Amino acid sequence: MSKKRGLGFYADIYRKILIQDLKSKMSYRADFVISTFGMIMTNLSGFVTFMILFHNFPTINGWDYYHMLFLYGFSLVALTPVQCFFDNNWNLRFMVQSGDFIKYCFRPVNVFFYFMSEVFDVKGLGQLAFGIGTIVYAWIHIGIPVTPLVILKLVVFLFTASLFMIAIMNIAAATCFWIKGSGYVMVIMFRFKDFAKYPSSIFSGVFKVIFTFIIPIAFVAYYPSLVILQPDNVPLLSWLSPLLGLIFFWLSYKFWMLGVRKYDFTGS
Amino acid sequence: MENEAVVMKNVCKDFKVLNRHEGLAGSIKDLFSHDYKTVSAVKDVSLTVNRGEIIGYLGPNGAGKSTTIKMMTGVLEPSSGEILVNGKVPYKNRTENCENIGVVFGQRSQLWWSLPLIESFKLLRDLYMVPQKEYDEMIELYRSLVDIEPILHKPVRQMSLGQRTLSDILAAFLHNPAIVFLDEPTIGLDVSMKSKIRSLILGLNKEKNTTVILTTHDMGDVDALCKRIVIIDHGQKIYDNDIEHLKNYFGSYRTLKLCLADGTWEETLIDEKTTDVMDVIMARQKETKITDIKILEISTEDVIKKIYEGGSV
Ligand SMILES: Nc1ncnc2c1ncn2[C@@H]1O[C@H](COP(=O)(O)OP(=O)(O)O)[C@@H](O)[C@H]1O
Ligand SMILES: [Mg+2]
Repeated sequence: MSKKRGLGFYADIYRKILIQDLKSKMSYRADFVISTFGMIMTNLSGFVTFMILFHNFPTINGWDYYHMLFLYGFSLVALTPVQCFFDNNWNLRFMVQSGDFIKYCFRPVNVFFYFMSEVFDVKGLGQLAFGIGTIVYAWIHIGIPVTPLVILKLVVFLFTASLFMIAIMNIAAATCFWIKGSGYVMVIMFRFKDFAKYPSSIFSGVFKVIFTFIIPIAFVAYYPSLVILQPDNVPLLSWLSPLLGLIFFWLSYKFWMLGVRKYDFTGS
Repeated sequence: MENEAVVMKNVCKDFKVLNRHEGLAGSIKDLFSHDYKTVSAVKDVSLTVNRGEIIGYLGPNGAGKSTTIKMMTGVLEPSSGEILVNGKVPYKNRTENCENIGVVFGQRSQLWWSLPLIESFKLLRDLYMVPQKEYDEMIELYRSLVDIEPILHKPVRQMSLGQRTLSDILAAFLHNPAIVFLDEPTIGLDVSMKSKIRSLILGLNKEKNTTVILTTHDMGDVDALCKRIVIIDHGQKIYDNDIEHLKNYFGSYRTLKLCLADGTWEETLIDEKTTDVMDVIMARQKETKITDIKILEISTEDVIKKIYEGGSV
């Protein structure tokens, strides 16, 4: 007579954990202020670097400054969920090696969910605000019409894009169930996200193939954003990206859970 | 519900240990390596635990106690043999099994580190879908058994080890599970916290008829809590019976304590069937001056030590 736990249950639990977590974070006020300040500075410096770099290169492969800016904003927003909701992946290898990971397996809920629910990283919110600001600014300058359909497309394809980075990090983190050096894998994958803000068309053959089909960084911003940026000339891969994103995320989740099943729970 | 809380039949657990290598290159090497050795942690253990029992699951370090518990909780799959917990195969029904068990691994808190205990309790209430009325009753029961006020509003990270362990035990019983597993819960605690925890466990077992499976190195825990003990060594079960039976078996053993001239006490364990106590005293008296003599029944501690050293009963 097992109790039924559906999506509503999980959403409710997540919300409750999140509220408690934010409450306790805010009670450490100095910590909170410093990390908020740090988050603003990080985003600001990234933004300024981008401006300086691209202001003097008006067109790259047919992309002008505002298209580049749109893509940049798009990538910032798409990278927010992985930062906010899946940041505990960074702690996975330490917990697996020390044996502390076992505690996530004693609750009558999904292990992946329970593990991820433990950490909500507020730093992602600053990035989200910057990203939205950048998209709006570029949007106005490019002169894309504002219709409900375009907004809906934007939301759907942003969501799609975010799934790719989450999946990449899930897989990178889950390698710790098999290998010792998973830290390197995570750092390398996380660095690759910096390529997300460039149009895939600037990369040469080999890299283009790698970033599209092997480590699908091109789907974190480039392909999904084309639906908005080039509405008359949308490649097939762009239209397929929501489906591919869901499949890729599902595979990464299965891989992560396979790691849990294979893991032999070292530590006394 | 059936009368058996746990049934294990011929359970074995082997670990394949890979000789791992450091660094990125090492990791890549590991992926293709076949450099394994096999460790048999649990060998052919059969065991039945009835509802409402508190059993002491004892054995020296590395005996296989934690591995057994990990199999009973459903996180590890046995290499061979069968386990039923509350009538179900735990590894195949992990989430379902978790509804009906509570687990404490000493010194590894399972609570939310930065939250006050009461908030952790509320989250657990929701996770286990405990009706509010049952939850309130449980908190009342806790209040009657132990003074929880000083820890209830304290974040877990600010607690002492003793308070943290106490909190973890309370959390393990919160959803009124049929079985609670306690793996070395009193390790590193002071005497007063140990006795608090023992009376709490006894009280909860009595009130809720919870089955408790306890591993410990502290014979004080065993004396206070367990009627029955199971001992394993090198993965094999070497004893499974009432603790009284064990003491009878070792009934001819005495602990002889001799106080020397400098005030120190010397302890010797003697089997009266084979050795005469007076002979030992006289022999020692020829070598040194003895100021006081005590002869005690064998303690649980010594009984267990004898079993670890001397094989089967
Ligand atoms: N995940 C694991 N991988 C390899 N060997 C293990 C693992 N877990 C336990 N062992 C080994 O199995 C044996 C039993 O360990 P354990 O069950 O932790 O003993 P205990 O809890 O009785 O101290 C030990 O030799 C230990 O080294
Ligand atoms: Mg152990």
